[in-house]
Amino acid sequence: MGSAGLSRLHGLFAVYKPPGLKWKHLRDTVELQLLKVLGVGHGCRLLTDMYNAHLTKDYTVRGLLGKATDDFREDGRLVEKTTYDHVTREKLDRILAVIQGSHQKALVMYSNLDLKTQEAYEMAVRGLIRPMNKSPMLITGIRCLYFAPPEFLLEVQCMHETQKELRKLVHEIGLELKTTAVCTQVRRTRDGFFTLDSALLRTQWDLTNIQDAIRAATPQVAAELEKSLSPGLDTKQLPSPGWSWDSQGPSSTLGLERGAGQ
Amino acid sequence: MALVALVAGARLGRRLSGPGLGRGHWTAAGRSRSRREAAEAEAEVPVVQYVGERAARADRVFVWGFSFSGALGVPSFVVPSSGPGPRAGARPRRRIQPVPYRLELDQKISSAACGYGFTLLSSKTADVTKVWGMGLNKDSQLGFHRSRKDKTRGYEYVLEPSPVSLPLDRPQETRVLQVSCGRAHSLVLTDREGGEGHVFVWGYGILGKGPNLVESAVPEMIPPTLFGLTEFNPEIQVSRIRCGLSHFAALTNKGELFVWGKNIRGCLGIGRLEDQYFPWRVTMPGEPVDVACGVDHMVTLAKSFI
Repeated sequence: MGSAGLSRLHGLFAVYKPPGLKWKHLRDTVELQLLKVLGVGHGCRLLTDMYNAHLTKDYTVRGLLGKATDDFREDGRLVEKTTYDHVTREKLDRILAVIQGSHQKALVMYSNLDLKTQEAYEMAVRGLIRPMNKSPMLITGIRCLYFAPPEFLLEVQCMHETQKELRKLVHEIGLELKTTAVCTQVRRTRDGFFTLDSALLRTQWDLTNIQDAIRAATPQVAAELEKSLSPGLDTKQLPSPGWSWDSQGPSSTLGLERGAGQ
Repeated sequence: MALVALVAGARLGRRLSGPGLGRGHWTAAGRSRSRREAAEAEAEVPVVQYVGERAARADRVFVWGFSFSGALGVPSFVVPSSGPGPRAGARPRRRIQPVPYRLELDQKISSAACGYGFTLLSSKTADVTKVWGMGLNKDSQLGFHRSRKDKTRGYEYVLEPSPVSLPLDRPQETRVLQVSCGRAHSLVLTDREGGEGHVFVWGYGILGKGPNLVESAVPEMIPPTLFGLTEFNPEIQVSRIRCGLSHFAALTNKGELFVWGKNIRGCLGIGRLEDQYFPWRVTMPGEPVDVACGVDHMVTLAKSFI
């Protein structure tokens, strides 16, 4: 290994976390595999930069019509059961279009742009308007991939989300449809530019694979960060750390989190 | 009926000439020698056909009102010497046309809109010229019409329907669905087979392409991304356009209402009182189906979501 090997370990890579596994446990496991090598060093700063870039993430969210629970999960405390035979794919699409529309409006409102300027207009035309500071969950795109009552599958592209808010989204869709719904699965399929394809499986958590993954991702990371953090867009200082992921978090996490043995 | 009976045969005629049909009481018009001769003469007259069985109703355009702005599209009202006939110049100008007057046009007009002193007509044709404008053109609300006297300037008044050219990629495949006019601006909605309905705007005012575009004599297309077109929604199309006095409204096929323009006393409905320089969604608890624009207010007809 030696120092040459260590120097290639600065960067970001994606890892596949199966559902049900706590992410801290995953992090510890990856560390052990690396024989307690100090964490990926400069990569941790890149992590913060990526957070500041406010890129969007893709999720597939699975919902179940017909019941409502207190924490919007399928196994939560039951609040109400309703009929859902009136729900059609067309109605669901209509509700999703309204949700997407109101969120697109919110995207511009939270980005604190002065709408009367020419640059605001140009950004709106290119679809680039995004809030670069704290905001509630904003959905940049949502559509229904599969609908077979009572189940349905949504693809959601969003930013500043929490898992609870995604589940609440399913609950609210149920309410708009004049029925109820709970969320049975939330699965992250893309984080910025890391997709499921580039995520490392459990069997691949060893030094060589991690090095390769970091090397493959580095140019993309640099390009994306440069694009997002370039002057002219509203950048903010480092936010306080802390995604608030619940225990059953989304299934892929970024490489080694901050604090991993630094 | 009596005449027919006579043609059929004398015997029949005698049978019918009962008490109510006495020859002394009734004479045929035209004083024919006998009813039989009159009937034969009539049968020889050729029948003139004015309209056939499968005649189609023709389209007509009628205009009336104040003509000096040129908005009626009849140049002889404003400049009588341009009219036909040898003594046209001696006729007086016609300031007001009080009753409907037929406008002679070659194309079938499918949509017409009146602005403040100007008119736009459009046709669903596949020809290159699809929109005609007439009337006031001081703010380029009819586009640019090069003056024959001075090639660098445009006409300030256009007295007869003149083509407005739209910058279309494929004019033979695009049809104009609707035109709409405001105080000094015009909107046109096109539909391309292939499904890309585009909106073109020109004239003077807040046209919808940012604060820098205040006047345009050339129709400018409003980018469809402003109406919600994204990778997630590639099939967004504007289905209806309306103009108020200084603002615009557009309804998309996804049931979203976009407005832009001068926000006179809150007429845009966006929650703010500032002018809106590019299309902005109006959200309401329902899906808008139609919209009407006034000077400082708007009304929408909608349906509930479920």
